[in-house]
Amino acid sequence: MREALISLKEVSTGYFSETIVRDVNLDIFPSDFIGVIGPNGGGKTTLMKVILGLQPLFKGQVLFPAGKPLMGYLPQISQVDKSFPITVRELVASGLKAPNRWFPHLSKAQKRTVNQMLDEAGISWLSSKPIGELSGGQLQRAFLCRAIINQPRLLILDEPNTFVDKGFEQELYRWLKVLNEKMAILLVSHDIGTISPMVKSIACVNGNLHYHPSNQITEDILKVYNCPVDIIAHGPVPHRVLKEHDR
Amino acid sequence: MSEWFGILEYAFFRNALAAAILTSILAAMVGTYIVSRKIVFISGGITHASFGGIGMAYFMGLNPLLGAAVFAIASATGIEWIAQKGKVREDSAIAIFWSLGMAVGIIFVFMTPGYTPNLMSFLFGSILSVGMTELYLLLAFCVFVGLLFWIYFRPILHSAFDPEFSQIMGIPVALFRYTMSVVVALAIVISIRSVGIILVLSLFTIPQITAMLFTRSFSRIIPLAALLGVLGSLSGLFASYFLDIPSGAAIIFFLTFQYLVLKGWVELKNMIYR
Repeated sequence: MREALISLKEVSTGYFSETIVRDVNLDIFPSDFIGVIGPNGGGKTTLMKVILGLQPLFKGQVLFPAGKPLMGYLPQISQVDKSFPITVRELVASGLKAPNRWFPHLSKAQKRTVNQMLDEAGISWLSSKPIGELSGGQLQRAFLCRAIINQPRLLILDEPNTFVDKGFEQELYRWLKVLNEKMAILLVSHDIGTISPMVKSIACVNGNLHYHPSNQITEDILKVYNCPVDIIAHGPVPHRVLKEHDR
Repeated sequence: MSEWFGILEYAFFRNALAAAILTSILAAMVGTYIVSRKIVFISGGITHASFGGIGMAYFMGLNPLLGAAVFAIASATGIEWIAQKGKVREDSAIAIFWSLGMAVGIIFVFMTPGYTPNLMSFLFGSILSVGMTELYLLLAFCVFVGLLFWIYFRPILHSAFDPEFSQIMGIPVALFRYTMSVVVALAIVISIRSVGIILVLSLFTIPQITAMLFTRSFSRIIPLAALLGVLGSLSGLFASYFLDIPSGAAIIFFLTFQYLVLKGWVELKNMIYR
C-alpha cells in the first residue's frame, strides 16, 4: 500500500462567503504527475493554494500522512510584480531556507547551491539581471529554479507554459520528466492539448474535482465531468491528443 | 570659499548638516522599501495622518513628535490591516486616514490657546533648528534600521516581493510586513523635522527613482540612493543658507534637479548608442 504525500478530504473553500471549490477529495502520491485542467475561474489556482497551506478551508481537511513534505511552487507569472527590483540570483536564492532564523543569511554551501542551480538551468549569465529584463522563457526558468532548489517532494506549477516560446516549452517538459523521478508534480494548465501527452493522470477542476487516472481523455469524458476546457471549443482537440499519445 | 567653511563654525549649521546626512541615509533604506513595494501613496497617507497627532500633542502640551509617531503607527498598521482584510478598497482607506488626520490636526491646533510658533516648521520643516536630542534620536533610529536591513535583508526583501511564496518558505510574513509598516511610519515622522510633512515623501522616493536609472537591484539601490540623497540635501542646505530660501523646499528642488539631469544624461546616452 503506497502512502500518499498529501490527502485532501471533503475540502471546500472560497473567498469571503463565495464557495469556489466544494467537496474535493484527492490523494497525491510520491511519483504522481497530475495535469490539473479546467476552465478559468474553476478553482485550479485556489485548490493549489489549499495544498500549499495558503488558503483557509471552509470545511474538510488536508492531511499529510508522512509529515508535511517540502513543496516547491511556481506561481502564475502574470501574478508576479516584474518591476520589483530583485535580481535573478536573489530570486533563485529565495527558494532556500537560511540555517539560522535569527540571522537568516545563506551559508557558503547554499550560495554554491544557488550557483549550481543557475548553471544547470543555463541562466548563470542572467544572474545579476533584474527580473524585469527577462523574456518569458527566461522568467519561467528562473521561477522554476526557485521552486526546485530546495529539492521539494511535491512541485506545483501554475501555468508554466504561458508567455513562452515553443522551444522552451519542449525543454520544460523534458526537464519535468527528469524531476518527476524525484518528486510528485502538479501541473496546472488550461491547455489540455499540450500537457496531456506528458502527465500520468488528469484532474479536472470546475467547482469540484474529477480525477481521471490516465492521460487519455476524450470529449465524452470531459462532458461527463462537466469540465468545459477552453480549447475544446476550437475543434476536436481531444482526438488529436489521443493520436499523439499512441505515437 | 572661506565663507563656505565659515558657516561650519556655527553649531546649528553643523547640526543641520548631520541631520541632512542621517535623514538621507535613513530615507535611502526605508524609501527603497516604499518604492519597491509601491506603497508611496500609503506612505503619503501615513505622513498626513501624523499631523493629527501633532495637533493633539500641542493641545495636550506633549512632545509633537510623540503624537505624530502614535498617529503614524496607528494609520500605518490600520492601512496594512484593512488591505489584508480586503473589505475596503485600499486607496479609499488611505484617503480616509490622510484627510482625517489633517482634519484632527487642524481642529486641535485651532482649539489650542495662544500662538503655536512651531506649527509651520512641521508643515515645511526646519532643519536649521534641529537640536542635539533630535540628532541622537535620528542617529539611533538610523543604526537600528541599518541593522534590521542587514540582518533581515532576505526576509524583508522576500516578503515584500512575494508574500505567498515567503509564507510557504516559513517566513513570518505578517510579522515582517507589520514591522516594516511601523519602521516606515517612524522613519517618516523622524524625517518630518527636516523637510516637513508636505515635502517629506520626496526624500523617500526621488533618490530611489534616480538610483533606479542605473540599477534595479534592491541592495544596490540603497547605497546609491543614500549618496544621491546626501548630495541633493547638502546642496539644498547650502543653497538655503546662502540664498535665504526655505531649506525643505531647496532640498527637494535639488533632488529633483539631480533626477532630471541624470535622466536626461541616460536618455541621451541611449540615443547615441542605439
